[in-house]
Amino acid sequence: MTGMRLTVNGVDREIDVDPSTLLVHAIREQVGLTGTHVGCLTGDCGACTVVLDGRTAKSCSVLALSADGSAVETVESLADGDELHPVQRAFWDGFAFQCGFCLPGMLLTAKELLDSTPEPDDAQILAAINGNLCRCTGYNTIVSAVRQASGCARTCAKETPCQES
Amino acid sequence: MAAPTQPDSAIGGSARKRDGAALLTGRAVFVDDHQPTGMLHAQVVRSTVAHGRILSVDTAAAEAAPGVRLVLTGRRAAESAGPVPYFIDPAARGGNRTDIRCLQVDEVVYVGQPVAAVVAETRRQALDAAALVAVEYEVLPHVLDAEEAMLPDAPRLYPEWPGNVVMHNRYGTGDTDAALAAADVVVSGELRIGRSTTSPIEPRGYLASWNAAEGKLTVHASCQNPHQMRWMLATSLGLDEGDIRIVTAKVGGSFGLKMQGHPEETLVALLSILTGAPVKWIEDRRETLMAGARQQVHRFTVGAMADGRIVALVDDIVADVGALTAQAGWAMPNMSATTLPSGYLVPDCRIGLDIVVTNKPPVNAARGFGKDAAHFVMERAVDIVAHELGLDPAEVRRRNFIPADRFPHRTSTGLNIDSGDFVGLLDKVLDEVGYAGIRARQGGLRHRGRYLGVGLGFELTPESSDSPGTFVSGFDTTTVRMSVTGMVTVLTGVTSPGGGNDTGIAQIVATELGVPMEWVELVQGDTDRCPNGFGNFSGRSMVVGGGSATLAARDVRDKLALLGSRMLDVPVDRVEVADGVVRVVDDHSRALAVPDVARALLTRAFAVADGIEPVLESTRAYKPGNIDHVPDEFGRIQPYPTYSSSLHAAVVDVDVETGKVVLLDYVMAHDCGTMINPALVEGQARGAVAMGLGSALSEQLVFGEDGTLLSDRFKTYLLPRAGDVPELRMVHQVTPSPFTMHGNKGAGEAGVGGAQAAVANAVEDALAALGVRVRGVPLTPPAVLALIDEAAAR
Repeated sequence: MTGMRLTVNGVDREIDVDPSTLLVHAIREQVGLTGTHVGCLTGDCGACTVVLDGRTAKSCSVLALSADGSAVETVESLADGDELHPVQRAFWDGFAFQCGFCLPGMLLTAKELLDSTPEPDDAQILAAINGNLCRCTGYNTIVSAVRQASGCARTCAKETPCQES
Repeated sequence: MAAPTQPDSAIGGSARKRDGAALLTGRAVFVDDHQPTGMLHAQVVRSTVAHGRILSVDTAAAEAAPGVRLVLTGRRAAESAGPVPYFIDPAARGGNRTDIRCLQVDEVVYVGQPVAAVVAETRRQALDAAALVAVEYEVLPHVLDAEEAMLPDAPRLYPEWPGNVVMHNRYGTGDTDAALAAADVVVSGELRIGRSTTSPIEPRGYLASWNAAEGKLTVHASCQNPHQMRWMLATSLGLDEGDIRIVTAKVGGSFGLKMQGHPEETLVALLSILTGAPVKWIEDRRETLMAGARQQVHRFTVGAMADGRIVALVDDIVADVGALTAQAGWAMPNMSATTLPSGYLVPDCRIGLDIVVTNKPPVNAARGFGKDAAHFVMERAVDIVAHELGLDPAEVRRRNFIPADRFPHRTSTGLNIDSGDFVGLLDKVLDEVGYAGIRARQGGLRHRGRYLGVGLGFELTPESSDSPGTFVSGFDTTTVRMSVTGMVTVLTGVTSPGGGNDTGIAQIVATELGVPMEWVELVQGDTDRCPNGFGNFSGRSMVVGGGSATLAARDVRDKLALLGSRMLDVPVDRVEVADGVVRVVDDHSRALAVPDVARALLTRAFAVADGIEPVLESTRAYKPGNIDHVPDEFGRIQPYPTYSSSLHAAVVDVDVETGKVVLLDYVMAHDCGTMINPALVEGQARGAVAMGLGSALSEQLVFGEDGTLLSDRFKTYLLPRAGDVPELRMVHQVTPSPFTMHGNKGAGEAGVGGAQAAVANAVEDALAALGVRVRGVPLTPPAVLALIDEAAAR
């Protein structure tokens, strides 16, 4: 086992991992945050998506040790206490999930898109979430929720107390 | 988390999912999220040959590997565990059966069949040690194709059977020979439905914890049917049902796959008993993709009159179910047969069905449950009739649909369709998709080298089934309990793998009880807490879960009204329970808060509640109407109370150079009777259509000649992605069922077969000028190019 450091959702963590440990397993089992899911372990479904040093990454395709010293944000970081992030609210209001297993990837990917492109068109939304599989919804409601969240982001910016993570 | 504001919690309102906050914030606990102290990890060693005799299983190296606690062989497992009982026993239907074991003892019949298991302290150790288990096989001849498997000299999967046919059945009434002889046009064809699968994003998984001191077993499972699983484990492991608790809290999608009956359920429980520790097994994606959902060949003949009326249908079905399973999947093709001739008035039908085993992993239960195949075939047949007669396919449907005033209507194959308005659906779809306009544009586009096609697909979805003598049950049970503070706990036997029936049931209970939905807590998927029930399948959860919750909630409401009327000093027929109060109907100023009435009943039972039984709890079962298990003169039974219906229109653009089919538009007109929560209904339909589009265009489980699954990951098994699915435009029609509590019909399965049919018909329509005849799904680019080449060669 090898010691390594991760800053997870702003908290510094020291964990011991095997050289073969995947980042997704380190987050779920060593750090103990199980909101990040394992769907395929081949980087295809996106249920394991986290934000790694500022960019979304499929944590099943990253060796934990290679992320030594990195900052990781998981789906657990999105809400501010009891206050949901606008993307989360839009997904809830818009029925953009059913079983919820794909949500970590969908939410973090949508947030990343909206952070860089506050008013994406549909093609940009589709391109962003195309790397994340959902078997429940057929995607239509996800696309419209992202659209809705971008509208909310605009509205919230004009008024005030919209929390930012 | 702040209390959610409910947009609309009444019946018919689109309340948001109750578990939304937990799922959105990552707090929801799925089976793999449990990590009890001392938990061990299991790995299954699987057969590497498609058919063989197990000569030896050498476990020495694995047992010596680091962290390994147990290596279990099939022979040793058989000393402690009996066969896995069937969800639907083929013998109960007059078919052939075989003992299904959690680990194979002597023979294997598919690549991937469990032969041994390793338990170790870490997942990695279990994985590494599993690779060290050396299994020696005497390889036997295998057969991967169902029609080859039916040949007399084909290798036999189960030597004790007379062949490889699980069962042969015939369905239908009338004189098809005479009807075909009198028909103006008779067309025959062959259709092949490829092997696709459900593949929820969460794989299957089980965590079993054996408490040796108490002799009790707790299993957390990603499973649709906790009570059936408890019975199954009690049977296979020789335990008392009362000593087993099954918990299926959050399930990450299922679509039939996680109906109970898999060998790993018994296996993981046994591993926990043998090691005395909690043992977890989580399927990997390669294992998930072994499961099939459907694979059939249909040879049909259809006869019609010159005006388009279809007078006879003959269909011979060969259904490849892979190896036999204790899960319900093998029985699905029965529904392919009996769902014909769908929603059409075809008086004379003869459907032959052979359910055949092959040396492939089992076909497991899947959304559509075989009905999807009936729709694909029937809708192709209708289009072929239209083509032969030079009629528009929409018009041929119109002329053949069972008229809306003819329900209930018993079909030739025995189903008693409760209600519907299929012409109404057709009109809505044609209008919404702009059918006439597309037809008008097609010719011009073709001159410019564009191949635009529009296809229709009607889908009749029998829902909420009851199969006599099996655990496919057409009723369910719910307890509604109000506490001394007025809070409501609903315990129900139905489960939700994601679709949201928990929200719908909470809406019903809140509405019936007259209290805010926030007061209602709902518990599903816990055999120690919930009444005996049957879980989730066949679009049953709102029909029977909702129905039983209604009955139980009304009992509690009546008790509140009785006591409330006494406290308000008015006759009981002058009070109502609404908005969280018991009030006088015509004087809302005279009202008592429901919690005050509840407290009075439970704390002043010998005063104000004197003479009233002081219980605010009711457990009720609900049996819908229209189920009839007494065979009629033709031997037909009627296992379904309700029949949802939908009509699909797909508009496609086919690139004749690459064979790629692009979906330009998709409209679904949907009728599931009364909708308890329209947004959740739409969600189910959208998901089912996307699944149907996948199986129509891209999803295909491919096996090598040696029986190894080649499409064993999402890079080769292509689920639709966001960019592949067009905006599905839904139109609703409501024809309430006369046989269910709220007039609701099942919602959850409709979409798979309709999407397959609409896409296939659209592709053929697009390529009509080239003479292409679609012969099956999936219509992958290579398959489309082959059809174009084939047409050119004709």
